Amino acid sequence: MNIAFINGSPKRKDSASGALLADLKQLIPSEHLIKEFNLNKDFITEKDIEALHNCSVWVFAFPLYVDSIPSHLLSCFCQLEQTEFNRNNIYVYGLVNCGFYEGEQTQYAMSMMEIWCDKVGLNWGMGVGFGGGGGLAQMKSIPLGKGPKKTLGKSLAVCADAISKGISIDNVYTSINLPRFVYKFFAESTWKKSIKANGGKVKDLNKKL
Amino acid sequence: MRMVISDISNLSIQKDDELKASNDSEILRHCIGCFGCWVKTPGECVIKDSYMNMGEQLAKSEELILISKFTYGGVSPFVKNVLDRSIPYISPNFRIVNNEMHHKRRYDNTLKISAYFYGMDISEKEKVMARGLIHSQVFNFHGKVNEICFFKTVTEVKEALS
Repeated sequence: MNIAFINGSPKRKDSASGALLADLKQLIPSEHLIKEFNLNKDFITEKDIEALHNCSVWVFAFPLYVDSIPSHLLSCFCQLEQTEFNRNNIYVYGLVNCGFYEGEQTQYAMSMMEIWCDKVGLNWGMGVGFGGGGGLAQMKSIPLGKGPKKTLGKSLAVCADAISKGISIDNVYTSINLPRFVYKFFAESTWKKSIKANGGKVKDLNKKL
Repeated sequence: MRMVISDISNLSIQKDDELKASNDSEILRHCIGCFGCWVKTPGECVIKDSYMNMGEQLAKSEELILISKFTYGGVSPFVKNVLDRSIPYISPNFRIVNNEMHHKRRYDNTLKISAYFYGMDISEKEKVMARGLIHSQVFNFHGKVNEICFFKTVTEVKEALS
């Protein structure tokens, strides 16, 4: 089976979406062929569309933007809806990460994907909504299923199993395995370090123009 | 000031409205997820175009109106693009409210936000989902929902606004 791993982050490198796909890849049985795509623009090339059509499973990974799908990826979804291809028996899975702690906050993005699948004639497989995704790209060295990625490991294993079996099951929502106040502390510390590294002051994080 | 973000061409707006419309000659570049608007040039997008000051413009607005083709339960790519480019309106820091993590406000104003969707065959289930999504987006922009309406055609939207 050909499986498309589609990174829908607008970032060209070090994206949380890429980290999620790398973690999922470890759980996909080796008999399946994984083809990787990057949708970081607001259109899909003819070459990528052709290659996508040769995959019976599409796994999209993207960050939550303003409670839903990033606009450039939404444009790609619209483009795919207008494209002629054999839609039968293609299953779609979604890995959505958000900077908020609660993975449940990705629920509307997941619902939009389900509606899109319905409009396009694709089968919605399942989604994994992951909260606390802000640090995923920095946690590549942490083994999946361990420490802060403990429940993420379980959720991705459920998703990998559904992909391998080609079935649809309920969406799963989970969070980083850290207490929320600890995650919040680390996330806000990152903003402080970043603004200082850019020559700014911490108080300017809330600057009014 | 009232800001109108619309994917409809030739929309008549009130004299003092600020219109962000898809028929602008300028190509709207999308958010690149760099967080520069929070940690490099706080409150301002690093992409230098006429949408770089969305945060400041929303801070000066009393009302925000979204006019959009109904797209999979949400707004169209153009309207979503403007919303994505508007995150400098809020602070990167977090607050816990209703036992959920959300961003703190950067500005003191509370936007009154409306959404006018148009499209054929929008199911009741899709409307429920869209209402939930808009409420969530408005909450994260520290605003208040004014109204959420569904129309079949662009003409109906224009009539409702006139």
